[in-house]
Formats: sequence, C-alpha cells, structure tokens
Amino acid sequence: MLKAPFSAYLTGIEPGLRRLVELLGSHYDYVSILATDSVGFSMGIGQRAKAVKNETMTTERGQVVRVHRNGLYSEYAFNAFEPEKSEEKAAEILKALDAQLMVLKATGSQVYDTAALPDEPCELTAEFDCEILPENCDQKQLIERLTALSNAGMARGKDMLDCRVSFQSTHISKLFLTANRHMRQSYVYSEGAILPIAMREGKNALSYESASGRKGIELLDELEGKLDSALTAVEDCLRADHIEPGEYDIITSPEVSGLIAHEAFGHGVEMDMFVKGRALGADYIGKRVGSDLVTMHEGATCAVDVTSYAFDDEGTLAGDVIEIENGILRTGICDALSALRLGTAATGNGKRENYAHKVYTRMTNTIFDSGHATLEEMIASVQHGYLLRGMQSGMEDPKHWGIQCIIERGYEIVDGKLTGKVVSPIVMTGYVPDLLGSVSMASGDREVFGSGGCGKGYKEWVKVSDGGPYLKARAHLG
Amino acid sequence: MMDALLDILRASGADGWEVTDTATEKWEFYFIRHRLDQNRASQVQKTKVKVYRLSEDQQFLGSATGEIAPTATRAEAEQTVTRLLEQAALVKNPAYTLRAPAQAPADAGEQVDVAQVARDFIQVMQELPETETEDINSYEIFASFVNQRFISSTGIDVTSVYPSSMIEVVVNARKEGHEIELYRNYTSGTCDRQMLKENLAETLRISRDRLHTVPTPALGKADLVLSNAAAVDVYDWFISRMSAAMKYQGLSDWEIGQSVCEGEGGSKLTIRAVKHLKNSSRNAAYDAEGAPIRDLTLIDHGVAKNWWGSRQFTQYLKIEDAFIAGNFDVSGEGEAEEALRTGKYLEVLDFSDFQVDALTGDIAGEIRLGYWHDGEQVQIVSGGSVSGNMRKLSGVLRFSTATRQYDQYLIPHITRLPGVTITGGAEE
Repeated sequence: MLKAPFSAYLTGIEPGLRRLVELLGSHYDYVSILATDSVGFSMGIGQRAKAVKNETMTTERGQVVRVHRNGLYSEYAFNAFEPEKSEEKAAEILKALDAQLMVLKATGSQVYDTAALPDEPCELTAEFDCEILPENCDQKQLIERLTALSNAGMARGKDMLDCRVSFQSTHISKLFLTANRHMRQSYVYSEGAILPIAMREGKNALSYESASGRKGIELLDELEGKLDSALTAVEDCLRADHIEPGEYDIITSPEVSGLIAHEAFGHGVEMDMFVKGRALGADYIGKRVGSDLVTMHEGATCAVDVTSYAFDDEGTLAGDVIEIENGILRTGICDALSALRLGTAATGNGKRENYAHKVYTRMTNTIFDSGHATLEEMIASVQHGYLLRGMQSGMEDPKHWGIQCIIERGYEIVDGKLTGKVVSPIVMTGYVPDLLGSVSMASGDREVFGSGGCGKGYKEWVKVSDGGPYLKARAHLG
Repeated sequence: MMDALLDILRASGADGWEVTDTATEKWEFYFIRHRLDQNRASQVQKTKVKVYRLSEDQQFLGSATGEIAPTATRAEAEQTVTRLLEQAALVKNPAYTLRAPAQAPADAGEQVDVAQVARDFIQVMQELPETETEDINSYEIFASFVNQRFISSTGIDVTSVYPSSMIEVVVNARKEGHEIELYRNYTSGTCDRQMLKENLAETLRISRDRLHTVPTPALGKADLVLSNAAAVDVYDWFISRMSAAMKYQGLSDWEIGQSVCEGEGGSKLTIRAVKHLKNSSRNAAYDAEGAPIRDLTLIDHGVAKNWWGSRQFTQYLKIEDAFIAGNFDVSGEGEAEEALRTGKYLEVLDFSDFQVDALTGDIAGEIRLGYWHDGEQVQIVSGGSVSGNMRKLSGVLRFSTATRQYDQYLIPHITRLPGVTITGGAEE
C-alpha cells in the first residue's frame, strides 16, 4: 500500500498562491484559495465501440479565489495562473469583481449581508492509501481485462446486443489556503460498471452493476466478480412485466435503500436550502420523521468510498453527522456560508462541481444504519409485495417531501415467498415521512455504492455515495 | 502554447489529431429573495487534444483524448501527447477516415457582452408581477460567452463564437402557513426578456394552484397532455434513435425509408436538425469535430430520412457529410390545440423529474402539479406518477401545430400521449 502523493504542480505554485492571498488581503477582509490538480482516465469498452479519455467527472486543474467585503462574498475562477505573476492576477481579479459590482449598483441590487468567515489556524496534509495509482497503471493490461469482461458477458448472456464495461480512476489533489489555513489532501478513487444490453422481440433492456471505492486500479478485481449478477439482472428485465400500480409492502435492497436515503432526507437536510426557506426539514428538527428503526448518517468520514475526503472545498474538516436518530430528525449538513447565516457549525459538506463552480451544501456518504433482521425473515413477513433491486434515478423534493425513485426491477413476493415474477421499471413515489415511518424491518448487513453522480436540481454534478441495509417498508409503486 | 502544441502534434507520428481550444468568460449572480447571495466570475481556457493511431494492418483506428493545461510547459505537452499515442494504439475501433475541411458559408457568430446579458437577467427578475402570496424564492444567473477553435491534422481550422446562458428560478406560493415551490430552469443564448417574463408570470399564476391540489386519482390508463419542457424528452427519444451511434451499436432498429411510429391514429411527425434557432445556446457554426452545421431532415412525416452524429459512427453507416446536430425543429401533421384538449385527459405542468429512457423507451415521472379533466370538471392534482413506453406511444402520439421553443428545441406547444399509466397519489 502506498500513499497517493500530493500534486507536484500544486506544490510548485503554492508560493505564488500564498502571495495572491496576501495581495488580495489588503482589499478584502477574508480571502481563500482552493487550487486543484486532479488527474485520471476513463475507459469504455463495448463490442462495437471503445474509448479512452484522460478525464473523468472530477479531473481538473484550476484555482478559485473567494473574497469577502462589505457583507458580500465574491469568487473568481481561473486556470492560467503563473506563480511569478501574482500581482497581475490580483489586479485581474479586482478588475473583474469590481466590474460585477458596477452591474449590481446599476440594477440597485441589495446584498445578503453575511459576516466574514472565521479563519482559525489549521495545518494539514492528508495523503490516503492506494495500491495502484491511475497514472502508474498498465493500461494495456487494463484494456485487455475490460475487453475480456465484455466478451465474457456476450458469451454468457442471452439475446445480448452489447456488454459495455467502463472503468475510471482519479487521483485528487487539493490545496486550500487562507491567511491562517494551509491544507493539502490527495487520494485516489475509482469506479467501474458493467452494462449488459439485450433485446428480445423488439424489447430493449439494460442493467447496471457497479463497484466503487477510495481505491486505485485494484478495484477492477471487484468489478470482475459482478458479471454474473449483471447478466441475471438484464435477463430479468427482458422477461419482466409491468407492475399493477398500487400500494405495496416493499423490501429495498441496499442500493435502493441508499437511493431513498439520498433523495428522501439527504437533500432534505442540505442546509443551504434552509437559508432559502426551501426545505421542510428546518421545521422538523427534533421531531419524528421515521420509525424507530431509521437512523441515518451523512459525512465524508462515515464510510470509505469515492467522496471520503479529509476536508471540503471550503477548508472545513470532514465529519460524520447523525441526521436521523431512531426516527427523530436531529440536524442537517451545512456548508460554511450557510452555517454563518444560520448560526450553526459547518459540517464539512461544502462542495464544488469543480474549481469553476460555486460551493453548495452537498452530500458525501449518506447511509442508513443496519438493523438485526435477515433478508429471509423480511421476505417471509410479506404477504404481497416486491423486493426492489437496481436503481436508475431519483429526484429530491425538500420543500414538500415528495419522493421519486425509478427502480430497475421488482421481484414479486406472495405469502412470504418470491414467486419468480419480475416487474420493470418501477416508479416509487410517496410522502417521505410516510415512507420512512413505515420502515418495519432492517437487515443486519449494509452496503455502500458510489458509482453515481448527484445534481443540485438539474446541475452542479458531484460524486456521492449512499447505501444501507435491506429495509422493509410500504410505498406506492407504478 | 498553441503553436508549440501544434508543432508537437505534427512531429508526433500520430495518424491524425484534433485540437479543441475553448475560452469561456462567465458571469454568475446568485440571489435569495432578490438579495445577492454571491457574485462570481470565471475566465477559463480548456485545450483538448485527440490523437489517432491506425493499426499496422490499417483495420483499426484508435483514439485517445486528453487536456493540455494553459500553463503546461512544452515538456508537459510532449509527455501528454506521448501518453495519448500509447493509449490510442490500444483502442481497436474499426477504421474510419477523419473529416476533411468542408466549404461552408462564412459565419461570424454572435458577439455578446456577458455583463449586459447578466444585467438583462437581473432586471427581468426585478420586474416580475410578484404578490404577497406568490413570489420569487431565489434565482441563479449564468451568462457565458464561448470562443471555440477547432484545428485538425486534415487541415480544418474553424472558430465558433456564441453566447450560452442559463437561469434557474424557484417560485413560492403560500396560504395560511402552507408554502409550496415550483422550479424552473431556462437555457438560452442570451436573455430573452419577453419569454422569461411571460413564462415566469405564468409560473407565478399557476403556483397558487399547487396550494389547492388533491391526490391524483388512480386513473389506470389515461391520456397525458404535456405543454411544458417535459415534452422535449418525448421528442428527444426520436432524435436519439436517429443518431448514428445508436444505429451502429444496434440500439436503434429503425431503418431509413421506414416508419418510426408503431400503431395507428397518431400525428405524423417531422424532425429537422437546423443550423440556427433564435436565441438557442447551440447556435455554433461548426460542430465539435469542425463540421459545418446545416439544416437536415431526420424524420419526414413519420418516416426515417437521415442519420446524424459524429464522424466515427456516421462513417460506419457510409455517410460522408454528416454532423453533430445541436438545434432541432419538430413539426408535422399537427392539430389545433382545442382538438387536443377534448375529452378526458391529465395535463401535467410540473413533474419532479420527467424521464424518457433513450434505450428502452420507458417514460416515468412523479406528478407535482397536474390538471385532471374528467370531461366535465377539472381537478387540480398532485402526487402519483405517469409511466408508459415510447415504442407503444409513438404511433398514437398527437401534437399541435402551434409551437414553443425550449432552448435548442422548437417543439409543438401541446403533446398528447394516449393510454399512459397513471398511478394515484398519497395523502400528505
């Protein structure tokens, strides 16, 4: 095991960035810089098309300056910084932000008056473990293994159109500087997916099995072990019927439990939404929102997956927040500016899509706690319902606590037994407190999944992971 | 750096290469209840390089892409190109030829001042007809000006300049302590003041309806009427299935000259890729591979006419002059709006997230605000979901002659999908 080394590029420009903080400090009462240098690659292997790119969702190299003056926060993002020309960059930033103030003055815009962020001293260097760095891997061997996986899928699957396999790995390096804070972190995360696509009698179907982790290329071993379940899933989709719409007992697989955690209360307690009055959760702190079996954690340190960092994009140390404890909503997660406005503490959840994007309160790892039941006991307890597996997408609704989850497959349960009948796809909807309040069993195991991305509304995509145990609940399916 | 990079690429031994150099100037303003939360500016340059390697037997052409930072040294650029060459040799795609320069009418693009665009957005938001009970919660303004140059080993050297903007708006309505929100997101070239004003005034008006909803009845099968941006996803399903990538990979079973609509009774659809749509954010003169963009009919009265897409996949389909389309005009044998608003139907004006799966054709969405017309009365409803499959709906789909533009899509104002499954909503 080696440590993912911090970027030599960032180390090289750091003196210039420190100088920039100093120069801007004479014009503003708070200055921070986030500088990023994250490298990686992505590979997509299918039977009819293959692609290699030296980019992933999180590869980037650039800087963003945040400044505060007269109650207003402003930011300037750039990627052409020359450390010996800090004075020129400082002048460019002042000019650009002053030009924006002219527009604000001309339009008579008022400022959301906010205090300056505290700048407590912090010195931190965090380099997390990794076996094989993306920049050091044998890419020929990697492509051969991915091709073999795709070929095996084609050989073993039925009615296959393609078996696509993707793999990507990113080595993140971030530097955060203020007058008093000097924070450096580097880590590697990887993710991979198998997407078998099949067609039978004019009906297309696809499925998706993934692996992810704060790991390097060694993650591929895990992905290779998921081919059989991916092929079984697509075969199930092909033979699936449409569900009869209605309210059913459901058992959610850990992947679907994670989707519920993310959409139901993950977004619902992002506290930048509290500032805007866009989240019902603000009125429910200390109140019951789920059954006694519902306990939910959120934080970069509560699991080790794709977004388990040491500090967030505002230089706040990562944490582990218990959002719901035995059904009672305890607190939310918060970026630094929202924390100032709400008079609470930042939780290490201030994240940017990349250096050129704004910080919002964002999720990291969002996970339901385990219970004590077994999956077999849970199935045996259902008279008529579905075991739900495979997630396609979800959408948050923090204001009204509606929930939409599109789930790939439902396996019918009648009188405590799986009947073999499959339905697909399934739209699960409902009122969040009803759904979480109906949780009546939770399994003793749990899994975490980090292969997807999360948007804020329809933009600002970041990496997140979520998961939990099998949960038994009641929901509307259509 | 660009001259040095081109020298490195010419001397690299690559069988082909492409450089896309994009400079984006962006201004952003974030407001919470008309108070400025934050202002942001960015000046970012991205130089992407794609390198091609032909196999020794010339049966395969591989490629790899990477980015050269604007501050990269010559040594770093050389190192990146070397790595790309090694990677490209590992990628075994069937060989195809790279695009050659094409004659196209001169297009100077659209120069804009991002400060003025941002100012226009701010002013529109200040002029909306808010009331004590229906108002604007928050909005985020993004105004960009893009200058993109594409250079290739085959001699293409073209530049597109265009504006690209977006505004996200959250509307509230409240009554007796109960408050709801509606979310809107508009992408465009610059600020279309009139469109934005009209659309947001309408959103403010309907927001009060969201306060008075009852759970959507479990309707079983019913006709779904769409008169909002969700309909774009319906027509995008047709557009996706006419892409060369889907066809070549066996994911679209449509054939040129054959009907793309299964079943009878629907309106015959025509979809054209168009070079220019007023105030679209996709009005570039050239596509991402340097091909000049022009008007092209993809589907004519329900019959597949032309594939569209990247050089790689259109070459596989033996098409020489294709391009990656950006703007689309949907028309055909439409009907009067009144004819589409008859009988029993559910009109949904707000979904949490309406989706049409390009591969399977499955449609799904949770209803946040809908109007159930039972033939006599109208109920304002919320909750529950719609589901169905475009393969079954394509032949019975009906639409209006009147159109409405959503950024790069000009589509019928009203779309009616018969026989969609409607799941009932839960009591809140």
